[in-house]
Amino acid sequence: MHPDLQQPDAALSAAPSESAMISVRNMSKLYGEFVALDRLNFDVQQGEKIVVLGPSGSGKSTLIRTFNRIEPHDSGSILIDGKVIDEKTNLTQLRCMVGMVFQNYNLFPHLSVLDNCTLAPQLVRNTPKKEAEDMARRFLEQVGIPEQANKYPIQLSGGQQQRVAIARALCMQPEVMLFDEPTAALDPEAITGVVSIMNTLAEQGITTLCVTHEMAFSRHIADKIIFMDRGRILEITPPETFFTTPQTERAQAFLDQMIRY
Amino acid sequence: MFRKSLLAFAISLGVSTALPFAASAQDAAGDVPSFVQNGTLTVCTNPTLPPMTFVKGSDASKPEGMDIDVAQALAQRWHAKLSIIPMDFTGLFPSLGAQRCGMVLSGIIQLPAREKNFDAIAYQDTALTVVARANTAPITSMADLSGKTIAVQSGTSYATRINRENEALTAAGKLPIIIQQYPTEDQVVQQVLIGRVFAFVSQDVELYFRQKQLHGKVRIILKPDYPDYRHFAVYFRKNAQDRIMVQTAIAALEQDGTLQASRQKWSISAQSEQALTQDESASSFNWSAFFSALTSLAFFKGACITLAVALLSHAIAIVISIPMAITLNGRGNSVLKAVLKTYVSVFRGAPTLLQLLFIWNALPQFFPIFREQWFTPFLATLVALAINESAYQVEINRSALSAVDAGQELAADALGMNRKQVYRHVIFPQALRIALPPTINDFISLLKTTSLASVISLQELLAITQVQVARTFEFTEYYAAALVYYLAMVFFFLFLQKRVERRFSWADRKKASANAS
Ligand SMILES: Nc1ncnc2c1ncn2[C@@H]1O[C@H](COP(=O)(O)OP(=O)(O)OP(=O)(O)O)[C@@H](O)[C@H]1O
Ligand SMILES: [Mg+2]
Repeated sequence: MHPDLQQPDAALSAAPSESAMISVRNMSKLYGEFVALDRLNFDVQQGEKIVVLGPSGSGKSTLIRTFNRIEPHDSGSILIDGKVIDEKTNLTQLRCMVGMVFQNYNLFPHLSVLDNCTLAPQLVRNTPKKEAEDMARRFLEQVGIPEQANKYPIQLSGGQQQRVAIARALCMQPEVMLFDEPTAALDPEAITGVVSIMNTLAEQGITTLCVTHEMAFSRHIADKIIFMDRGRILEITPPETFFTTPQTERAQAFLDQMIRY
Repeated sequence: MFRKSLLAFAISLGVSTALPFAASAQDAAGDVPSFVQNGTLTVCTNPTLPPMTFVKGSDASKPEGMDIDVAQALAQRWHAKLSIIPMDFTGLFPSLGAQRCGMVLSGIIQLPAREKNFDAIAYQDTALTVVARANTAPITSMADLSGKTIAVQSGTSYATRINRENEALTAAGKLPIIIQQYPTEDQVVQQVLIGRVFAFVSQDVELYFRQKQLHGKVRIILKPDYPDYRHFAVYFRKNAQDRIMVQTAIAALEQDGTLQASRQKWSISAQSEQALTQDESASSFNWSAFFSALTSLAFFKGACITLAVALLSHAIAIVISIPMAITLNGRGNSVLKAVLKTYVSVFRGAPTLLQLLFIWNALPQFFPIFREQWFTPFLATLVALAINESAYQVEINRSALSAVDAGQELAADALGMNRKQVYRHVIFPQALRIALPPTINDFISLLKTTSLASVISLQELLAITQVQVARTFEFTEYYAAALVYYLAMVFFFLFLQKRVERRFSWADRKKASANAS
């Protein structure tokens, strides 16, 4: 066993938890021979905010992508809201429940901001057009750009595009939000805006898993930090513990790097 | 006159010796030749050789001429329905071999070389003539053509005949006659009219008929005495009983005056020869001919066929090339991928004309159902061009699909869309913008490629033009009219491209802002 490997939480039972929002047991993911995720175990409760940290290539993106099954896991189990996620899972239902925001926004360039937000609700949830548009305008209001509804993505700044991406995900009314480095491509001012939106969402009680190096969010908003290295989870601790007294050398080294950076 | 009676004599001689068999064969086989099938006599013809077979009016599918009269008389005699299939000259014998028609009647000389493969029965006397521009002095023998260029129709036997002359010329230490071959008789005549070649070789009956159009423009300079160039014959697949029946039928038509009446009708007589010895000066561009061509129903129909073939075949090509492109863009290797790659290289590699000829002439040899009437030139062209174009369209689709950012599919997946929705609403609209300009380019090129289908008798714009030119020899005027049609179509699609590109303003920040304001 890896010397640094954190022993499973004493509170964590061997069986997956039915009451947790997300329950992961012995979950592994391979890319061919390469072990991208190695026997992970943890629970995320309803309304919890989790920040995933770790060096590049440690498997952070892969981990959060297993929750909406954009990357299917190979062994072990994932339960979301008590339901098993495997090849028999209804992907449409799963993805209605788990929303995702990407580093590069990935807005649909051929659709206006409003249509970006209403496309999936209409196609996937069969929401009537009028209703979908009302909801989209409400979420655009919430992310602070109601006046951009009729523009095309190319006409917006990076920060505005990421807000649209968040609104687009919210329009599916998910119970879990996955963020993959949502601020990595933004300048400092835009970062502040996007982080404050994420704070608001967190306050509203939506379960959040976020890969980010943004201290403002991980220190003050997150309930727990998951620290990963080479496909394994080395630490799961509250941010105050993690940032002051990390348990592993690897995490200490990572934090030193982060601060210097 | 003398020659005609000679033919009649030869026919009656043949019939009298064959008659006993003929009578018994008629009793046994219900008195129709075996190539009359389901009560239909199918005749292949290349309607560019007046007065034997040509298109007189505007309906290109209804040729007229002495050959058609003969075909009608034969069909009547055999109580059969007549079906005429107009096509390119080079396609006639392959089609007969492929059983697409029972008979070829197209002003074709009776030659021993052709009789090796098919049966032939003569029905009209003729003679070979050498024709030059007006004001050219007559020559005394073929040897006088040494070193000069002459034009002949390709697929005819004139080239072989002249090569035999050339052997004699070379043996005598003289320069050979230079031969140029053209696909239609009227193009052959044109070469003389514009002065590119010194003379052309043709049959006298044709010149007699064309004397009105050619009057003053050309003149006969020599009638070499070739004994083997004296009869036009009908050709059919070898069959001893059919041969007797056709022979009997032709002899009867000669006796009851049917053939003679047809000769009168099409002015196939020696008097016509006189007119071709007088000279006159050529005229300039005939504007009224040009405008009447431009506004004629025939040209309009031809353009519609051109447009329909191009649009339909490209539509089919696009539909079949999309799944092909998606498969080829997918990860990994499979047998299907290897098959598709071969498909693309084969159909991009082979000349389009060859593919057309293959589908029209070779396919029926493997699959007899392609001989049937439903497999029209239109359908054959559609199949050939759709397959050919799909091989090019695959490449356009592939690069367009891979130009769409992979994050788009990811985002659409994450929003819960299914495969169909992802392609329909996210990937295709973006790929379309990239694929559209090269696709319209390809379409314009395809629109022009349809003109190749005239070789398999599709009556598209260029085929119509050629038929009209053969009728009048006002080639500059008709070519100009065709050009106007092609350009009008191309410009329309270029205009359409500009209009459609405006809808893609989302890809350009400045244009998007301009549209919004
Ligand atoms: N589709 C794939 N095929 C093969 N290997 C992959 C694939 N996607 C990711 N990997 C590998 O899996 C490992 C984890 O990748 P992942 O993207 O999850 O890292 P990450 O922690 O998100 O890194 P970063 O901080 O740079 O985004 C890496 O070593 C990567 O090379
Ligand atoms: Mg990542």
